[in-house]
Amino acid sequence: MAGARKQVTRGDLMKSWLLWTFFSHSCYNYERLQATAFAQSMIPIIRRLYTTKEEIVAALKRHLVFFNTEPNVGDVIHGITIAMEEERANDAPISDEAINSVKTGLMGPLAGIGDTVTQGTITPILLAFGIGMAKEGNLFGPFLYTVLEAVIVLGIAYFMFMSGYRLGKRAVEQILEGGLINNVVVGAGVMGATVIGALTGKFVSLSTPVIATIGQTKVKVQADVLDKIMPGLLPLLLTLGVLWLLRRGKSPVTVMLWIVVLGVVGSWIKLF
Amino acid sequence: MQISVFQAFLVALFYYFAQSPWFIGLGYWILYRPLIAGTVVGVILGDPAKGAIIGATINLLYLGFISAGGSLPGDPALAGYLGTALAIGSGIDVNAALALAVPIGLLGTVIWFGRMTLDSVFVHWADRYAEDGNLSGVAFANVVPPQILLFVISFFPVFVAALYGPPAVKAVLDFLGASVLHMLIVIGGMMPAVGIALNLRAIARPQMMPFFFLGFFLAVYFKLDVIAVGAFALVMAFLVMQSSKEVLGNGRS
Repeated sequence: MAGARKQVTRGDLMKSWLLWTFFSHSCYNYERLQATAFAQSMIPIIRRLYTTKEEIVAALKRHLVFFNTEPNVGDVIHGITIAMEEERANDAPISDEAINSVKTGLMGPLAGIGDTVTQGTITPILLAFGIGMAKEGNLFGPFLYTVLEAVIVLGIAYFMFMSGYRLGKRAVEQILEGGLINNVVVGAGVMGATVIGALTGKFVSLSTPVIATIGQTKVKVQADVLDKIMPGLLPLLLTLGVLWLLRRGKSPVTVMLWIVVLGVVGSWIKLF
Repeated sequence: MQISVFQAFLVALFYYFAQSPWFIGLGYWILYRPLIAGTVVGVILGDPAKGAIIGATINLLYLGFISAGGSLPGDPALAGYLGTALAIGSGIDVNAALALAVPIGLLGTVIWFGRMTLDSVFVHWADRYAEDGNLSGVAFANVVPPQILLFVISFFPVFVAALYGPPAVKAVLDFLGASVLHMLIVIGGMMPAVGIALNLRAIARPQMMPFFFLGFFLAVYFKLDVIAVGAFALVMAFLVMQSSKEVLGNGRS
């Protein structure tokens, strides 16, 4: 072997992770989405591994191509890419295409899984806790959300990044195909659905002031009929109705417009 | 209440922070959420509890908020910062504030669209720096010009709206009268159903609907708060994970 093996240091990895964590969406754009952020995150790695101008230009161009993934779970791609760049700098036959195909092959699936896990599950569950407290004017709610969200999001991002580097391409198999993620998604779905049910009961509000006159007796529809069947019946039916419309492919904005119409007409005829 | 120039400045500044990369990239995960936005605005305007209540209410609408692949189905941060500022400034009811926040959130997508479009320019700056092998140039292109742009297009509209909005909102609502206000309150009461249903669609497969009902019943019959329901939810989640492991026969030690 000629010369010492080129190797990125622990500090380089940390710098690269921080650059990505800070600036992943700094220059988010329709043309290449996170491309410039990916390139920026590779700067400490490029500095360590490549010395000639040709190599540096090639490496920058290699990482300025279209890139878009979920910025925390997707960190495994950065780790893997760095591992591949390291091999390449030590004269392993790894082409530009090989690196690009790993990046583009992984970014889609990881965006899907990542969005489901972070934006779709963890964030709403933690928000639900925070909202539940904050609705009563308790400032511990927002504080709790801030701390838990920060720790969990950064924890996932760091773990995925470093696993990607340590395990290389095997990381994806180990992390994603080991059933762990699937099991977590199922568990989180159960937890999310339960907590969301509670939010529906507590914070969707819809009631009717209608008083029906049957013969001599006046019946308050809300207090004497609906609440006797089930408290929160109207909010529950409304939420299930909205879910049904969304599952049938109606857009959220359309559904919101319908709610506005329902609210305007309903309060006009004094139904609500 | 009258919002001062300095208070409007802070509200607008935090709206920019929420979308900025500073704070270890956590802006989007924390400051961007109406729960936090409302609380921050409450602190700025001297009524943190009111801000937290309004922010939490607006956040219900955005519970199912997922921005994927550069698309944005509404702007929770604008709804949170500007919605709370207008609500506290004009002294309206919490549910009416949510009804007000809906169109504000939709308007925010214009700022997002402008940013995503104009940022494409700086990608070509990065390309030119890359041609020269200029590493710090590429970093510069990813950070400095897009952040100046973002600051300009997000700070100024919110600053002006927070400063001059509340008297205008109050005047319009006073003019329209109590029945319109009641209408807004009814609409605002129903809106959380959208955020909740969106989130339900995203995470819960149809087989998980019984758990949704479980949570609902715990809240309406036993009057448990959300954290308490969360404790039950955690137990259910563990039970389901265990049994699905056994069913699938892939129990790992």
